[in-house]
Amino acid sequence: MEFEQVYKTYWDRIFRLCMGFVNDYDIAQDLAQETFIIVWQKLDTFRNESSIGTWIFRIASNNCLRQIEKDKRFPKSDLPIHLSEEKQTSIEPQIQFLYKCIAELPETERIIISLELEDVRQAEIAKIVGLSEANVRVKIHRIKEKLTQKFKENGQQ
Amino acid sequence: MDNNNIDFKALWKKQTVSQPNIEDLMARLKQFKKAAIRSLWITNVLLLATSAFILFVWYYYQPQFISTKIGIIITILAMVIYLFTYNKLLGKYKNIETTQTNNEYLRNLILIKKKQQFLQTKIMTFYFIALTTGICLYMYEYASRMTLLGVSLTYGLTLLWMMFNWFYIRPKQIKKQQTKINELITKFEDINAQLE
Repeated sequence: MEFEQVYKTYWDRIFRLCMGFVNDYDIAQDLAQETFIIVWQKLDTFRNESSIGTWIFRIASNNCLRQIEKDKRFPKSDLPIHLSEEKQTSIEPQIQFLYKCIAELPETERIIISLELEDVRQAEIAKIVGLSEANVRVKIHRIKEKLTQKFKENGQQ
Repeated sequence: MDNNNIDFKALWKKQTVSQPNIEDLMARLKQFKKAAIRSLWITNVLLLATSAFILFVWYYYQPQFISTKIGIIITILAMVIYLFTYNKLLGKYKNIETTQTNNEYLRNLILIKKKQQFLQTKIMTFYFIALTTGICLYMYEYASRMTLLGVSLTYGLTLLWMMFNWFYIRPKQIKKQQTKINELITKFEDINAQLE
């Protein structure tokens, strides 16, 4: 599989996963880039045991978990990444509120719900996170309830 | 939109995303590689320079006593072992397999952190003891030619400095490292518990 193709196909999905985890545009951008750096380094070791999606999502979610340690690390990259200048955040409050609520969930729930919203099949989510499929189903149900509750309390309909 | 059925998926996908050029990513990749190589160089150059200096002293002053030579060897060995274990641990940590499940990944992360917690204390203690022994042995030859006052001054000051390190800096350093690692271990364990 060509790196460039993988990059084009998965960037948006990986970015949203990271965004759901940290709810900070710049950090999410950094995390997504780090993920693709790892993907780039490891692409030759990818064997078709699992789908490439599962493989990439595992790398991305593990990288998100790892960033907990680096919390204070982010000295803004001194590289001219053109994006950071024209800062782009979603203006729609509903979208913002959704991402905020997700980023406030316990870490693993953030990952599970992000994958679910990305239309990853529950069997795949189970393989990414390392839970049973039944367990994933229950968790997704509960998380959705929590989110609905928060939306209602906030009057966001 | 129905109150009980908010379309989270639609909302989720409306998040603005901007994909950086692949060139930007490649630039960052290059930078990243360079930084890794640079840090490797700095450690090794420092180590080499110190060793070269000590060996130069050995060669230039031609020590007569065996104690001096043993002292030199112990000192260099202490530094080499310290840097070696430290780098190895760091390497292991950086290279945790990222393609496993979150559950396995977290468990590995905890395992390595625990190993690090254990090693750091041990290695640090070993480093201090070896260095002190090495330096005391090394000084013996030169001290043996000094007056009693000179000897007590030289050893007194050196040992004072070592004791300051041992009783003040070492425990402080260990405590700092341990607190940091313990916090992380607890955090990772908490997260992993979410998956039970």
